Amino acid sequence: MPKKEPVVFQIGWNACIHCGACVAVCPHKPGFITAFDTIAVDTPCDIACMACEAICPVSTITHQQVFGQKQDIWI
Amino acid sequence: MPTIAYDIVIIGSGPAGATTARVASERGLKVLLVDKRQELGAPIQCSGAVSRHALEAAGVEPNQEFIQEAIYGFGIYNQAGEKTTIDYRQIKPDEYGQGEGQLPLGYVVDRRRFDRYLMTQAERAGVEVQLKTEGLGYESTINGGCAVQLRHFNNTFQVKAQILVGADGLQSQVGKWAGLQTHIKLKELASCLQYVVDGVQTDGLLEIITGQHWAPGGYAWVFPKGHGYAEIGLGVARNMTKHDARWHLEQFILHSFFKDRFKNYRILEIQGGGVPLAAPLKTQYADNLILVGDAARHVNPITGGGIHTALHGGLIAGNFLADLLQSGQKPNKQNLKGYQDQWLEASGNAMWKLYREKTAIFRNKDIAQRDNLLYKTMSDYFSPYSEYKKI
Repeated sequence: MPKKEPVVFQIGWNACIHCGACVAVCPHKPGFITAFDTIAVDTPCDIACMACEAICPVSTITHQQVFGQKQDIWI
Repeated sequence: MPTIAYDIVIIGSGPAGATTARVASERGLKVLLVDKRQELGAPIQCSGAVSRHALEAAGVEPNQEFIQEAIYGFGIYNQAGEKTTIDYRQIKPDEYGQGEGQLPLGYVVDRRRFDRYLMTQAERAGVEVQLKTEGLGYESTINGGCAVQLRHFNNTFQVKAQILVGADGLQSQVGKWAGLQTHIKLKELASCLQYVVDGVQTDGLLEIITGQHWAPGGYAWVFPKGHGYAEIGLGVARNMTKHDARWHLEQFILHSFFKDRFKNYRILEIQGGGVPLAAPLKTQYADNLILVGDAARHVNPITGGGIHTALHGGLIAGNFLADLLQSGQKPNKQNLKGYQDQWLEASGNAMWKLYREKTAIFRNKDIAQRDNLLYKTMSDYFSPYSEYKKI
């Protein structure tokens, strides 16, 4: 499998129910979180397993690739 | 400011943390219990069902402060709507019911009030409690204890302790601090959503609806919620469906065999969370540290029930830590293993067995067979003759 590109997650706060499921399933070391019981949104994720997006009961987590082409963001 | 010293510091004041704190304090330990929230239990991530026996065994009096509705049994449904009823009002009418001398089998509790009640009981037992206080980290110190970094209303400070207890739930950061293997697989964490609704009738039973069609990898539920309200919810395993929990919940409400029953539903609250349908953590201790409750994955892997197991784990943890420290033993990894051994003996081994049963069901690739197995296992689990009754 090719190495995954790092991503930055975005959370649609209007739909977020602050259930913490994304944090519970996240394989990161401690601290990849926000103060609102979600995975970090301001830090690139180099694991990019997308389990947080899948577990979200209201599908309010999306991501952008850190390096790439159109629509992507550069950090 | 001088550093304050405690016997134990507990991070997270849910049922597991507050029970550990209360029991340890009753046994004479100096305990600090902290929680990062301003209001315990919120946002609610739980349906709130707990047996009366589980409360009483943990020394918690069933109290109107937190009870939303009394429960008398179960209704287990298969995908087509066929029902197994296990109503203790009929099975043991002398014991269970609303009449004089009769008691409920269990309750649906309001987790906001329940968690606050348990915290209050801990406080009254002598525990020092601080809300709005989050844990930042800990390290073992040369004298055999540990230093715990905390933050309270933006002030960072440090306390000394013999033992840190991680009771910080499924999202546990404390377990990660200790380097414990806490990662849960996506397929073993059910993605759950529930609505508290008005306009849906219930009858004192916890109703559980199985079947791949409604809740792939999990189940749906309808629980009484007091004041004429109900909870309708479900959990799904995301490796078994391309849709999210909300989509499945809408399908269940609008298209299941309950669609007529649900037709006047009005949503009052929206709640969700991840529920582990997984094995307990293999290692729940480290030097100067133990985990309890959801953080240790003390959760029934078939039902996802975690209140009774949190209370029970808290009871074991509080007593074990008191025994350990009062006998002058060091709170190192070797000695704290005894906590896990006691817990395994009391209920963990049965939980492992249940996990293997659950895994065998979902390993079956034939959907109809799997549905039948899950329906039967759920029906057996809630029967009065189940070997897993208190797990």
